[in-house]
Amino acid sequence: MKLELRGITKIFGSLVANDHIDLVVEEGEIHALLGENGAGKSTLMNVLYGFYDPDDGEILVDDVPRTFTGPGDAMAAGIGMVHQHFMLVPVFTVAENVALGHEPVKGGGILDLKVARARVREISERFGFDIDPDALIEDLPVGAQQRVEIIKALSRDAQVLILDEPTAVLTPQETDELIEIMRELRAAGTSIVFITHKLREVRAVADRITVIRRGKVVGTASPQSSEKELASAMVGRSVSLGVEKAPAKPSDVRLQVRDLAVTNAAGAKALDSVSFDVAGGEILAIAGVQGNGQTELAEAILGMQPRATGSVRLGGTELVGRSIRQVLDAGVGFVPEDRSKDGIIASFSIEENLILDLHDRAPFAKGPMIDRRVVAENAERQIEQFDVRARSAQDLGSQLSGGNQQKLVLAREMSRPLELFIASQPTRGLDVGSIEFVHKRIVAERDAGTAVIIVSTELDEVLDLADRIAVMYRGQIIGVVPAGTSRDVLGLMMAGLPLAAAQTEAAKHPTHPADAGRPAGTPEVLS
Amino acid sequence: MTDRQPGTSTAPGTTKGSEPRDPSGTAEPNRGRTLLRDIAESTGAVVTLAVLAALALAAVLIAAANPEVQRTASYVFARPSDFLTAVWEAVWSAYSSLFRGAVFDPQASTTERMFRPLTETLTASVPLIFAGLGLGIGFRSGLFNIGAQGQVVLGAVVSAYVGFAFQLPALLHVTLAVLGGLMAGALWAGIAGALKARFGANEVIVTIMLNSIAVLLMSYLLSTTAFKRPGSNNPISPMLDESAMFVPLLGDSFRLHAGWLLALAAAVGTWWLMERSTWGFKFRAVGANADAARTAGTSVRAVYVWVMLVAGGLAGLGGVSQVLGTEGVLQEGVAGSIGFDAITVALLGRSRPLGTVLAATLFGALRAGSPLMQTVSGTPIDIVLVVQAVIVLLIAAPPLVRSMFRLPAPGSGSRLAKEVAA
Amino acid sequence: MKRVAQIAALSAAAALALAACGDAPEEATGSATSTTAAADFTGCMVSDAGGFDDGSFNESSYAGLERAVEELGIKKAEAESTDAGQYNGNLDSMMQNDCDLIITVGFNLADATAAAAEGNPDQKFALIDSTVDPARENVKPILFNTHEAAYLAGYLAAGITETGTVATYGGFPIPSVTIFMDGFVDGVAKYNEDHGTDVKALGWNKETQDGEFTDTFDDKGQGVISTNNFIAAGADVILPVAGPVGEGSLSAASQNDGVKVIWVDADGYDMYPEYQDIIPTSVLKGMEQAVFDVLYASTGTAFNSDAYVGTLANEGIGLAEVRDESVPEDLLEEIDTLKQQIVDGELVVESPSSISVD
Repeated sequence: MKLELRGITKIFGSLVANDHIDLVVEEGEIHALLGENGAGKSTLMNVLYGFYDPDDGEILVDDVPRTFTGPGDAMAAGIGMVHQHFMLVPVFTVAENVALGHEPVKGGGILDLKVARARVREISERFGFDIDPDALIEDLPVGAQQRVEIIKALSRDAQVLILDEPTAVLTPQETDELIEIMRELRAAGTSIVFITHKLREVRAVADRITVIRRGKVVGTASPQSSEKELASAMVGRSVSLGVEKAPAKPSDVRLQVRDLAVTNAAGAKALDSVSFDVAGGEILAIAGVQGNGQTELAEAILGMQPRATGSVRLGGTELVGRSIRQVLDAGVGFVPEDRSKDGIIASFSIEENLILDLHDRAPFAKGPMIDRRVVAENAERQIEQFDVRARSAQDLGSQLSGGNQQKLVLAREMSRPLELFIASQPTRGLDVGSIEFVHKRIVAERDAGTAVIIVSTELDEVLDLADRIAVMYRGQIIGVVPAGTSRDVLGLMMAGLPLAAAQTEAAKHPTHPADAGRPAGTPEVLS
Repeated sequence: MTDRQPGTSTAPGTTKGSEPRDPSGTAEPNRGRTLLRDIAESTGAVVTLAVLAALALAAVLIAAANPEVQRTASYVFARPSDFLTAVWEAVWSAYSSLFRGAVFDPQASTTERMFRPLTETLTASVPLIFAGLGLGIGFRSGLFNIGAQGQVVLGAVVSAYVGFAFQLPALLHVTLAVLGGLMAGALWAGIAGALKARFGANEVIVTIMLNSIAVLLMSYLLSTTAFKRPGSNNPISPMLDESAMFVPLLGDSFRLHAGWLLALAAAVGTWWLMERSTWGFKFRAVGANADAARTAGTSVRAVYVWVMLVAGGLAGLGGVSQVLGTEGVLQEGVAGSIGFDAITVALLGRSRPLGTVLAATLFGALRAGSPLMQTVSGTPIDIVLVVQAVIVLLIAAPPLVRSMFRLPAPGSGSRLAKEVAA
Repeated sequence: MKRVAQIAALSAAAALALAACGDAPEEATGSATSTTAAADFTGCMVSDAGGFDDGSFNESSYAGLERAVEELGIKKAEAESTDAGQYNGNLDSMMQNDCDLIITVGFNLADATAAAAEGNPDQKFALIDSTVDPARENVKPILFNTHEAAYLAGYLAAGITETGTVATYGGFPIPSVTIFMDGFVDGVAKYNEDHGTDVKALGWNKETQDGEFTDTFDDKGQGVISTNNFIAAGADVILPVAGPVGEGSLSAASQNDGVKVIWVDADGYDMYPEYQDIIPTSVLKGMEQAVFDVLYASTGTAFNSDAYVGTLANEGIGLAEVRDESVPEDLLEEIDTLKQQIVDGELVVESPSSISVD
């Protein structure tokens, strides 16, 4: 099935979200839609999927103009969508989820799950999905849940599949599996629209690339383009990928973590006897798939985990058992992984967000009163130094883009003299330009002699920033490796293999599967 | 929001056509723009229109409840003029008597009495200002404190007791009575704050329960000899000592008392607390995003307790002003429904001090005007309550008011940007 | 707004469609104005927080005002209070309304009435169930020696009980309620004394002024609960002093053989035809009559500040006609004798809640 978008325009108030976008997806093609956050990719797909009415332009399926008034129409026309956030009922089985909305019925209105089960098995076998129709969704890993979403779409005879940022939630291995699945689907004649901002994946799998910036198609590119070319097209200026940093000059050990453990409310060990050191002037990256105890580790150091046991010593001061306030006062800066929840207050101005932690002490407070002049001056200085793009310091946190919100958090946390700096997922959801800035700042903090811990599930980021890498798996540190460790080895360690086993395993498959589609002769670009 | 600020450089070569328009409208000064948008989008305009819509809706009810209108409606097609006249007269007499009772009475016999209604409105607003300010602080701090009623009652009980049980010099007496009531309200609310901080008890449930306990406690106290008037078996306290009462502001023929000035001062104080002090910063931070406040080192538990103490103290002053200002005696029902009306007042005032004062004055006017509305136009008291209820209803559903008057949605800029964010 | 108006108009139109086609009446040919002095008289009334529809003393008092409007042709104005904070404001609005007599209902309004009377010496007031202290020239208290009638009811209850246990409960522990209970238990005691019996009266201890209350004047379910508890404790005659809550007693009693209810305020026999067989009598408190009488007197020149006191003697209070044929004749005779003794002052019934007027 061929899908064509012609001159699609969508306007929200004064904002042109999509400006005369043209896009053709041929049958059996993987078409990557590349663009930064906010470029208008999701709007375009929501128009295509019938969520929004376009203000102008038309959608053609096999050269016939169609109008979709809702997702039902789009599905009927053979378009399926896998959302970034899965639309699955956790307590239902795979078959029940697939049947949901299109329940096959026996006589008398009784649900016929047999049909659904058979359908799941059939699709699963055809594409090698390895999905049990009777498994509960909540018991499945994220990668498998995504495959259920794909099965759902295929079971409704989708011939064009829209994948919205599908790899954001996956481990490197799961990403590779997904890419394999996409190739299988392409071979079976399914067209795929692949929405992403990750250059590596685009180059690995796409047949054609359309770059969108600020609601417009700014050009098309071939998968042979270099990452730097793609990034520049996406951002609209020349960008440097990777982080320029001098070798670390570690001083004495600044942070000593010993036998740190956290038992969660359910009684399970979320963090299991973790020990490591970080020296001043070095970056320790904590790698691992989301949910393997990294969050708990960062929170335990900060004093947010009341049930933490063990020891965390910063310079000679024991931190376990202290309040968050005391930990911060000991010289810890913290960038939380969910900045909109824990990092900023959406309804507070930039000025106010910049003094969340220091509002009640000099120079911001004079007795019980906040000195608004000092606060304003501070905001001006920080906005300037951290390149926070805003109309004024009075802008609300919610009015900033993700990147600028993150800069705001960095500005605040780095405005105190620090002994230790912890950043969880410091660039999650950020655009290329902001990532560049945040990374530079983190390296600068290291070079100032601060001990730095970066928690990241993005392997690229870990490899870019780390001086040493600790890999976490199921609440434990499975190994600490040097910065140059290969992507394959790290990926296998993240899946639970100890270092030695991972090295052996990686040696058997020297080529990373994600790069298999790369034309011969192209050198592998790690960063 | 996306990065669309001027200064973001554009890509050479790859750009087709011009950039999309800057949605932020950089030409305008930011402050003024924000203010204008706030007014247009949610606050002032919506509130005013909600009040007007409520009055219009109430007019329909007033007309429908009027016997003359009902009578003429039976032959409305035969002689519509009768019906229309009856409707007009019912509504006009209701609202004109509301005005006469709440603002200015041109038919009064003396000049003094002409202006008395306005002072009555202000008098009636005093306890609502106090309690509304307290609730507003709670709402902005993320605490849905339903317990103002109980705090008002406790404030009234203690200040009344100080007022009738002791003989003290004037200034000292009134000061002690005020402080007693303030502390009683603060501690009563503090129970809920402490339970929330210590055990995570839901403050809505706890404060509702504390309301019942406070009312029954007052009933009990009024049956004891310590509170009962000597020689009477009625549940009513002795009259308060003159020295404990708020002084009248405009002489003895008006009931407006010094408590009104105290209420205005409290409004200014609340503004300072919330907007200028470090404590208010903490309160607001916890209210807007407790997780972020906690991550930044604020003790959310301590804030809960302090917010309840401050809010309860203010609500307690509501009870104080009722007893020391107008009633001069403690009796069943002295707190009326102040604590509940104050919830409306605080919501109507958008939990801001100025808004609360204005909303309390509006409610004071409804309260001061309703007796005359009843007596002159025969409008049932229930209609007045319906007007209040309809205002709340419309305030609670700003989108309804906006769609009724086709106003722009709030924060259209940022919300839409979220929708387009890929 | 347009839409709201449309909806309102539509529903109004729908409602009126059937009724609205009537013929217009002839233009009025001069209204039927009364020619008596009463026509220029405005009688006003302020309720306490219970409101005029409380099914209790506010409602009875208001009935008196309405009767005066109907029979005497006076004008009326009323203000209903929803809480105690409104008493002053409501009285004030009456002042703006050229009232000839303002009747305030209930002891709760005593202070407000006293203050208003002090500030407006030319305005006449009547205050129900309370006096003002000090007494004022322009305030007429309307009081009831309810305990005297309740005493007779207690005597009767003790005389007809078969289980040897009777009971009473109130709405709230306020004097206008407990005065009934005081009289009732004293009447039971009197019966025991005269007959050497040991009839128990549950629900009220006159000594400690403590007993059973529903804490509501409108939740009939509470009446059912209290009554069933008393029945379980062996009581077979119940005196509920809680306004409409007493209906709960009627309903509970009707489901238990041999249980009777003595009604209060008005004659329950007339109010509840379906329960006539379980209502042997009622304790009458003639508020309607009292209000009417005071208004009637005031339309002339007969207003004075002397208290109106409803007594057995002037039939301002009393026991309703006993129409239950199972009540023995000699018991009725004894009650008549007692009544005469009270009227004559030979027997004094006391209650801490009664207000003495000197």
